[in-house]
Amino acid sequence: MSTESAAGGDPAPAVELSGITKRFPGVVANSDVDITVRAGTVHALVGENGAGKSTLMKILYGMQRPDDGTIAVAGEPVSFASPADAIRAGIGMVHQHFMLADNLTVLENVVLGSEPRAGVRLDFAAARARVREISDAYGLGVEPDRLVDDLGVGERQRVEILKVLYRGARTLILDEPTAVLVPQEVDELFGNLRDLKAEGLTILFISHKLDEVLAVADDITVMRRGTTVASVSPREVTARKLAELMVGSALPVPELRESTVTDRPVLAASGLTVTSADGRKVLDDVSFTIHAGEVLGIAGVEGNGQAELVEALMGIRVPSAGSVHLAGADITRLSTKRRREAGMGYIPEDRHRQGVLLEASLWENRVLGHQTRKPNARGPLLDRRGAKADTQRIVEQYDVRTPGIDVHAAALSGGNQQKLIVGREMSGNPVVLIAAHPTRGVDVGAQAAIWEHIRRARAERLAVLLISADLDELIGMSDTLAVILRGRLVADHDPSTVTPEQLGSAMTGAGRES
Amino acid sequence: MSGGVTLEQKAVSAKRGKRLSPMVYLLIAVGALAVLSLVRVLSGATDLTSSGTVQAALIAAVPIAMAALAGLWAERAGVINIGLEGMMVLGTFGAGYAGYQWGPWAGVAFGLVLGVVGGLLHAVATVTFGVDHIISGVAINLLAPGAALFLSKLYFADAPGGGQKQSPRIADAEKITIPGASDLLGTVEAKRWFFVSDLAGVLRGLTTEVSLLTVLAVALLVLTAWVLWRTPFGLRLRSCGEAPTAAESLGVNVYRYKYLAVVASGAFAGLGGAFLAVSSGQFRDGQTGGRGFIGLAAMIFGNWRPGGLATGATLFGYTDAMALRGSGAVHALLLLLGIALLVVAVIQYRAGHHVLSGVAAAIGVLFAWWYFTSDEVPPELVGAAPYVVTLLVLGLASQRLRVPRAIGVPYQRGQGV
Repeated sequence: MSTESAAGGDPAPAVELSGITKRFPGVVANSDVDITVRAGTVHALVGENGAGKSTLMKILYGMQRPDDGTIAVAGEPVSFASPADAIRAGIGMVHQHFMLADNLTVLENVVLGSEPRAGVRLDFAAARARVREISDAYGLGVEPDRLVDDLGVGERQRVEILKVLYRGARTLILDEPTAVLVPQEVDELFGNLRDLKAEGLTILFISHKLDEVLAVADDITVMRRGTTVASVSPREVTARKLAELMVGSALPVPELRESTVTDRPVLAASGLTVTSADGRKVLDDVSFTIHAGEVLGIAGVEGNGQAELVEALMGIRVPSAGSVHLAGADITRLSTKRRREAGMGYIPEDRHRQGVLLEASLWENRVLGHQTRKPNARGPLLDRRGAKADTQRIVEQYDVRTPGIDVHAAALSGGNQQKLIVGREMSGNPVVLIAAHPTRGVDVGAQAAIWEHIRRARAERLAVLLISADLDELIGMSDTLAVILRGRLVADHDPSTVTPEQLGSAMTGAGRES
Repeated sequence: MSGGVTLEQKAVSAKRGKRLSPMVYLLIAVGALAVLSLVRVLSGATDLTSSGTVQAALIAAVPIAMAALAGLWAERAGVINIGLEGMMVLGTFGAGYAGYQWGPWAGVAFGLVLGVVGGLLHAVATVTFGVDHIISGVAINLLAPGAALFLSKLYFADAPGGGQKQSPRIADAEKITIPGASDLLGTVEAKRWFFVSDLAGVLRGLTTEVSLLTVLAVALLVLTAWVLWRTPFGLRLRSCGEAPTAAESLGVNVYRYKYLAVVASGAFAGLGGAFLAVSSGQFRDGQTGGRGFIGLAAMIFGNWRPGGLATGATLFGYTDAMALRGSGAVHALLLLLGIALLVVAVIQYRAGHHVLSGVAAAIGVLFAWWYFTSDEVPPELVGAAPYVVTLLVLGLASQRLRVPRAIGVPYQRGQGV
């Protein structure tokens, strides 16, 4: 437990990291990192993916040991062998990928590992009371007896925060907490963070979303290539300046150049309806037309039918009503393979589950989805040489950073895997590109490259369907914008005038068009 | 705020949160008994609800229930235990070996110990060495019968009353009867009244000559439910099957809990085998006859919950008992199964599973037709009846199963995040 008090004098810093260095075989994840976190503040740690933020936080949370350097909590030097030690010192972590068991209740998730007991029994009554008490004290609004499976992302995050508070943490590490939230949920989270701060808790906030950092942080530390490059106050910097500190150079913006939209319809859906196994309409009477050279952006809170829409378009899911036309031809009944052969490219939302085989080589991944076509196939057989040559071409043209085309896809960073997927989907003369969250979880460099490829696809008169949770990306990269809510397309927006806030409220159904 | 989102989630949770009250369960039980009674009156097969059948059903259900409990322990901790069958075989041998020399309870204890050995083997392979759970389980299933047969030849061939493939007789465990109730119920049962006599038959079966082993099995079932759902230990064990990395991040020693769970699983499977051997009076080669797998199926049917798996085990026990009663009883079972499948068809239809409903209805009608156009079931099929019935019911009553999330996934410390 830390002993500092928020009031009175100049308390020792809640956490002080100095000279932290961590090497992994072949890479230095952190070198000589210094951070001082004042007690009772929100301290933001910003940096690109791969800048070493996560490694640093794992070190602070006892999941990894530093090769060099010292950690001090509330002025006392400490050494953590495991997260349990960190928890004992009052440090708690809310992971980016929630550490929750879906089939257990909120209560069970919270108390797991430090359960109140009555004899050998778990004292559910005491646990419930304690969870309620904490939830009320910090305004988290968490219901102890609900199943985590039934909770939305924002609620799950609050459960994670509650879990950490339950263990008596005075310093909370939040790893990219806003990555999965819509703007309104972000505001709620920030409200919670301010409440926590008011109670004297210290928060370490990891992010690469700079406007959010500027909105909530008291201090900011910037990391680049494994080391801390600057410590700034949010009053002294702009988002642009921060971004340049982060990247080390000017940064890319999602934007389209002159309009390339033609009046030739390429992909058209009419009355598309998908019914789930339990009879609910997960996609309800969706109609749209994308013309050659047009990017249609679809905004929406996740789980409102985006995945089903994409699957219905690709022929993975059978719609219960409606039709899909590709360049005038009805493709509603075609198989996924035939659709792909007809020129539909698809960047799936979850690249590890649908985009690549992690345990297969790059050239094998290149063949996937194009296994019937040149240059990958010759008659019924695979053309290994052709596939390899073409993979080499993709690696060069799309700047996939890899030691070779025979390494497993798992060896590549997320951004490079994504570039490989984009390269694959742009091969074989597609006429349509469906991009679901194409830049999710990739670094700024790869993001800029992927945007550039989408722009090029548009310039080559492809019809592009763009689904994203990044509202700036949607607004910047779309010619037309639609909002999907509970399976229906509810509103059209002009990307040149709409603001992220307007989109955000349309996404939650709170309001239409200002 | 995010009104639309929460609204949708509420709808989902309402659907999920639907749990039947005890009253509804009672009604279902009464309804089932009424149907049984009706079939008995129609077919004249008194065995359907006789106390003898119920007794036999209990004896047959106990090993299945133990196997299912064994599966529950392992799978709740995330380890698939298809090696149950093999561990049961070890249990039957253990019971035979210790049972004929030192009495049934020594047999039960030794069967349990051998089951633990099997469990440990599975734990070492799957938890420590990360071997695929199915492969390790199959290996145990191949290994155990061979080992049991070898040991049987070694120890039983020259023992008095033993043989190459069987142990000498084991004394049966003590049996208890509730004195007054048994006679009174017996009189009512003999009256052949609709429903009342059937109820009396069932109750008499449950109060007469009940083996202490059965009582122990029921106690273990309740104890398991309590330990797994009411204690910190149980919560931690289940968390290892749901989200081991989350458990690890909260300081739960996942390896330890997995080990304990799989060893407990072996112990229960060994017990199941021992019960089987003791209640049938000796160890015999091939005695388990796939009961480990049936237990696994009963556990899945029971949705990884003690109450559910007990229902599945009872179902198998009941049909097994009917098969033992001979072809007349199995013939009546045809009608019963026909009716049951039609009920399943209606339920599935209302749930919107039209195809499943159609299949159930078609098979149901087929069985009813078979019943009305024949006088008996060929004796060759009688022995298969329990398996066929179990398969049909387990298959067609498919429900929204909630599998432990991390089941079968090899876990390694520090691999998370």
